[in-house]
Amino acid sequence: MGQGSGRQERSKKLELATSETMQAEADVQNDKEETRETKNRHEQLRLVFGMADLKNKAIGLYNIGQTCCLNSLLQVFLMNTHFTGILRRITVPPSASQKRRSVPYQMLLLLEMMQCGKQKAVSPSALAYCLSEHRVKLFVQYDAAQLLLTLWNLVKRQVTNAELIEKLSDLYTIWVQEYMVCQECSFETKRNSNMITLPLSMLDSRSHLLKTLEQCLQHFFFPEKLTGCNMCFCENCGKKTPFLQSMKLAHLPQTLILHLKRFYLTESSSIQKLCHYLPFPQGLDFNAVLTEEQCQADAGEKASWQYELFAVVAHSGSTDCGHYCAYVRSLTECKWYCFDDSEVCQVLWDDVKCTYGHSDLHWGQTAYLLVYMKKNPQ
Amino acid sequence: MAQWQELQSLANTSLEQVHQLYSSVALPMEVRQCLADWIEDQNWRQAAEPHSSHAQMLFHSLLALLGDHLGSPGLGDEDFMLKHNLRKARRDLQAAFEECPEKFANLVANLLQEEQQILRLAQAGQQGGVAPAPSTPQQSDRQQEIQRRLADFQAALQDADRAFRHLEDAQDMFDFCYKVHYLPGENRTNDPEYIRQMQGLQAKLQKLDRSRKDVLAQMQQLLGRSETLQDFLQQELGAWRERQQSACLGAHVDTSLLQLETWFTALGEGLFQLLQLLRALGDLRHKVTYERDPLQAELPLLETRLRELLTYLLQNAFVVELQPSMPTSSKRPLVLRTASKFSVRARLLVRLHDRSRRLEAKIHIDRKPPEIRGFRKFNILTSNSKTLVAGDSPQDGLVCDFQHLTLKEQKVGGSGKGSKSPGEGPLAVTEELHLITFTLAYAYRGLELELETSTLPVIIISNNNQLSSAWASILWFNMLSTDPKNQQFFVAPPSAPWPRLAEVLSWQFESVAERGLSKEHLHMLAEKLFGSKPSPESTLAWPKFSKVSSAWQRWHLRSPAPRLLLTHSLPQDSTSGFSFWAWLDGILGLLQEHLKQLWKDGLILGFVSRKQEKKLLKGKRTGTFLIRFSESTLGGVTCTWVEHPESGSPAFRAVVPYTASELASLALPDIIHDYQLLAEENIPENPLQFLYPDRARDEAFGPYYSQRQAGSLMEKKEYLNQRLIRVSSRQANESRQADEELVAATQDLQTLQLQPSGPGPLQPMPCSPGTLQLVPGGPEPPLALQMLPRSLEMLQPVPGVQEMQQVGPGDQGTLQAEPGAVEPQLVLQLVPEGQGMLQVGPSSLGTLQVLPRSLEMLQPVPGVQGMQQVGPGDQGTLQLGPGTLEPSVALQLIPEGQGTVQVGPGSLEPLQPLLESLEALEPVTEELDMQEFLQSLSEEPEPGSGVLETLQAAELMPSTLEAGDSRLERLSPRPARECQQPWGGTAGPLLGLTRCVPQAAPHSWTTATRSCPRPTTQPCPP
Repeated sequence: MGQGSGRQERSKKLELATSETMQAEADVQNDKEETRETKNRHEQLRLVFGMADLKNKAIGLYNIGQTCCLNSLLQVFLMNTHFTGILRRITVPPSASQKRRSVPYQMLLLLEMMQCGKQKAVSPSALAYCLSEHRVKLFVQYDAAQLLLTLWNLVKRQVTNAELIEKLSDLYTIWVQEYMVCQECSFETKRNSNMITLPLSMLDSRSHLLKTLEQCLQHFFFPEKLTGCNMCFCENCGKKTPFLQSMKLAHLPQTLILHLKRFYLTESSSIQKLCHYLPFPQGLDFNAVLTEEQCQADAGEKASWQYELFAVVAHSGSTDCGHYCAYVRSLTECKWYCFDDSEVCQVLWDDVKCTYGHSDLHWGQTAYLLVYMKKNPQ
Repeated sequence: MAQWQELQSLANTSLEQVHQLYSSVALPMEVRQCLADWIEDQNWRQAAEPHSSHAQMLFHSLLALLGDHLGSPGLGDEDFMLKHNLRKARRDLQAAFEECPEKFANLVANLLQEEQQILRLAQAGQQGGVAPAPSTPQQSDRQQEIQRRLADFQAALQDADRAFRHLEDAQDMFDFCYKVHYLPGENRTNDPEYIRQMQGLQAKLQKLDRSRKDVLAQMQQLLGRSETLQDFLQQELGAWRERQQSACLGAHVDTSLLQLETWFTALGEGLFQLLQLLRALGDLRHKVTYERDPLQAELPLLETRLRELLTYLLQNAFVVELQPSMPTSSKRPLVLRTASKFSVRARLLVRLHDRSRRLEAKIHIDRKPPEIRGFRKFNILTSNSKTLVAGDSPQDGLVCDFQHLTLKEQKVGGSGKGSKSPGEGPLAVTEELHLITFTLAYAYRGLELELETSTLPVIIISNNNQLSSAWASILWFNMLSTDPKNQQFFVAPPSAPWPRLAEVLSWQFESVAERGLSKEHLHMLAEKLFGSKPSPESTLAWPKFSKVSSAWQRWHLRSPAPRLLLTHSLPQDSTSGFSFWAWLDGILGLLQEHLKQLWKDGLILGFVSRKQEKKLLKGKRTGTFLIRFSESTLGGVTCTWVEHPESGSPAFRAVVPYTASELASLALPDIIHDYQLLAEENIPENPLQFLYPDRARDEAFGPYYSQRQAGSLMEKKEYLNQRLIRVSSRQANESRQADEELVAATQDLQTLQLQPSGPGPLQPMPCSPGTLQLVPGGPEPPLALQMLPRSLEMLQPVPGVQEMQQVGPGDQGTLQAEPGAVEPQLVLQLVPEGQGMLQVGPSSLGTLQVLPRSLEMLQPVPGVQGMQQVGPGDQGTLQLGPGTLEPSVALQLIPEGQGTVQVGPGSLEPLQPLLESLEALEPVTEELDMQEFLQSLSEEPEPGSGVLETLQAAELMPSTLEAGDSRLERLSPRPARECQQPWGGTAGPLLGLTRCVPQAAPHSWTTATRSCPRPTTQPCPP
């Protein structure tokens, strides 16, 4: 299992994000929203004319109904100046209703709201309602990794400018090559695929706990034999044969999101959380982690694989009830902040380290998503 | 402290910022000042929301309060100006913000925030720059961070508490309005007033909801930060544990728990406060709840998380403050002996408890015994539970002090007696690790827990002679184990990296004699352990550290009895019979007993290899000496000096190592002071002149010489003062050799040759002085014991004899050689009785048995040496290797006093010549008070037929007594009176005048003395 299932899950998630069918839900305080909407319009004008100076200050987001997960992800997006640079260049949708339904536009408005006021926190209600029109309901606990994909897909789909779409993709997309080698006839199939996050299993193939992030990455790129019921059909042999499945890293984006799969399905099909200690470094060099065979990239590409930790989305609690918060390192100030809904405070790396996990504290904060940023953007 | 007051107490630079802040703000400072507490207590942030009735209310309250203040009698006439300013401010505020109170609220909220900012910056600056507080000068960054975070945590907790009270108010208000206005029974949906009220109610509910979420977010953040704080405390505690471990090993480190206790208590207090807040929030939910109440979803999560955090904190806060130790060996804790008392103390660092409940701690041993075959089980005697007492003063803390505990082994099956039979388990007794565990039922504010903590592993011994090797195990474990509870450690003990081991060894010396090991010392030890190339990466395996080679090990496991070792050369790889640790521990014991001060003051060079020793001394003038530890003797110290002859290379000489027993009778400084070297052609001289590198002897050692009684012969004393000195002899033809063995061999009557009785004639004996030969005689007496002293010179201070005296009574039983392996036994016993009397009774004679059969190849030159190597653990038993050397020779001399030897009546005559020699020697001594000289005992008992019943044929022949005598004659005439008197009666008077100390080489000499007391022995007339 492990790796193989990880990939299946991932592809499923990508689909889910686009073809999910959910009941949209919109209620409460429409009147209030209208007033805000008009206000925002003025602000938007300022923005369009480039007046809004992006201060990139750390501002909280009110929880408006179990939105801690959304809030954390929004902070991770909006504190990323590479992302907001793209966001600010989007074309404003023409009609009011389109504006209301446009996720990137609403994100932009929210960003502006956060940066223009002196408040300690703002309410992401407009965006939340916009999302609820796209089947992302309020008052529902989401999995941060899943919601991230949904959000990213919505943004990417709703940005109209092709250049910006490409920039967005460049910013977040990881390219890998998947190889399948038939173990009987050595028939090889190769496939390029891309992903937004690297879903890293916390367990190795024998269900032992992995000890570090580097180990998780190594395990992720370690070739896997598909035998028994996992055998695949080989065109050459004309039958199901054991395969060796391997993956090679081809390209890493500016913003690299790693997903620590802390939730796993036990044999009794209940979901369990793995809380054990798993340290991750502030600086990550993929060349030191992966072997030559696990990469499929030229030297220039590989030279750029130097990363620095930018954000951590941490989960506390258990599988059925929990809380998210985000630790983000401000790119302008180079200081860490902790975003806990409306509460924002400056923290130290030591606080971030507390999300490594602890086998004795099952309810404490554990890192769930790690966002790394390339050190020297070309 | 209130924010405003804190702000005022800041340094000037920060105050400047405050002034700037207020210069541009519509709220005058006077108002801030006089309503400080009230202003800080309001929720301005919330009131700043648009269209908030709250802002209106706050604004008007403020104006009203100002009005009250103006009218209050508290402001006297002297405050006229203030009154005026306040009145003006009130008017201005009213004019400016009457229409938009929320703006005012926003202003105040921002103002307060700015103030906080200034405060934080100032405090951070204070801590970072000016104040590494004078009380605790060397606080680490982490400690400062903890202090800062604790302060932040407490401030945040106050904020949360305030937010909670606002929430409570808001809820009460909503609740009231709800009960008054909400009338679902009446259908008033058309009533516009009712609809308006319902909308207001709805808005209030929204606000309540927002407040609840805010408070929850605050709590989440607070919990998140306290996790970090907890993590920091954990690290500090970990560092303390390491320090404690080092302290157990003898390091000088601070193991005070005071600071940690303060921190743990503060955090615990805060978390319990938070728990109460959460419970109060829960109560709010019970009063008012609604659909999607955030409290409902998040409170349980928060509470679970908090409880977990508290549990974790408390679990860690329960520590063993004092590791178990016996009062008798407090410097070596963690080694416990069955049936002796020990004490141990546990402490709960979170100083919070319910005073109405008793906190009872229980003590257990080996709660979860490891699965090791033959693992012993113990019971803790005396009460195993104790109530945690909290003293009234806060310093006392929650402590449970277990004292007067004893351990008793549980009898299992047949193996009684506590000691294991060999092969019973994989671990030796001294490698068996036991854990003592405390449990505590803790209950406080509704949180009930069972706390548990364990001591470091202890080793349980049943006999004191296991102490040394048990301590070696403790060292090894605490030096290398990563898991403090790993009882299986010695199943596969890891190797020790040399730098770590060096540090720990140095601690041993530091703790025993207040001076650690220098770089040079450690270098020598490393060389000894690793050969010529010690590197920082070198590691030492456990068996190499603590165990002797396997043959010895097997024997050792069978019986921990003391043994005498036959080898005399330096053990390079611990094959010689004692391990590296035993050797080092012997030195430690010697230091502790006799050389503490000298070591502390750096007079003992100590660990010097011979090579190094030569290098050091080569360039120094004749008579330069250094003191070093013997490498071949357990617990021996020796002096090496250099002599530069007229021609040739310099000679290095060392005296046979002194051990604890000799130093007990004569301290090393005195030995050095009085040391005499008897050269054949010279008068005795003290070769020890300068302490290395270049310090006059008396200057270096002057302060340590023992008090001398300035007596004169004129005084009418019954006895003259006496003093022991040490003398070595030297042969004129002695070649210059610095090797210890060689020097030793010539200096003592060392060469004991036992030769087989062959059909041929007696073998020619080596004529070198100091050779004692045991030669099997003719057919009738199969064995002839011959002693051939040539001159007095041969009779020397030999530490070996003294060593023998140290055999404790407890060890006597262990002297028995194994029946199967060793057939012939030569047991010599000198049993002194009373002060200074060495009496050789007839009874002890009976034990002198020389069984001839296997004496053939006994050439125990090394054996003699071996005798000198008697270490504390090995005294008394001379064990010969099993194959070649069959006879086991055990020598015991057990005098209790200061070395006065009284020889039984039978030996009086043979002693007499000696006396003369003593007299003869007297003039040599320069000091008047030196009334006592080393006595050379030479006696030549002729074997009478009856004598040798047991000793088959012992011939003690005067070898070259004439020579000696003639030499005596040459010396000045002796006062006959003094000479005669002591010998008049029994040997009693002898004491007053002289001491007859068996000073010769241990083996040969004791053999000689042995034969004296035999009543039938015929002494040779002088």
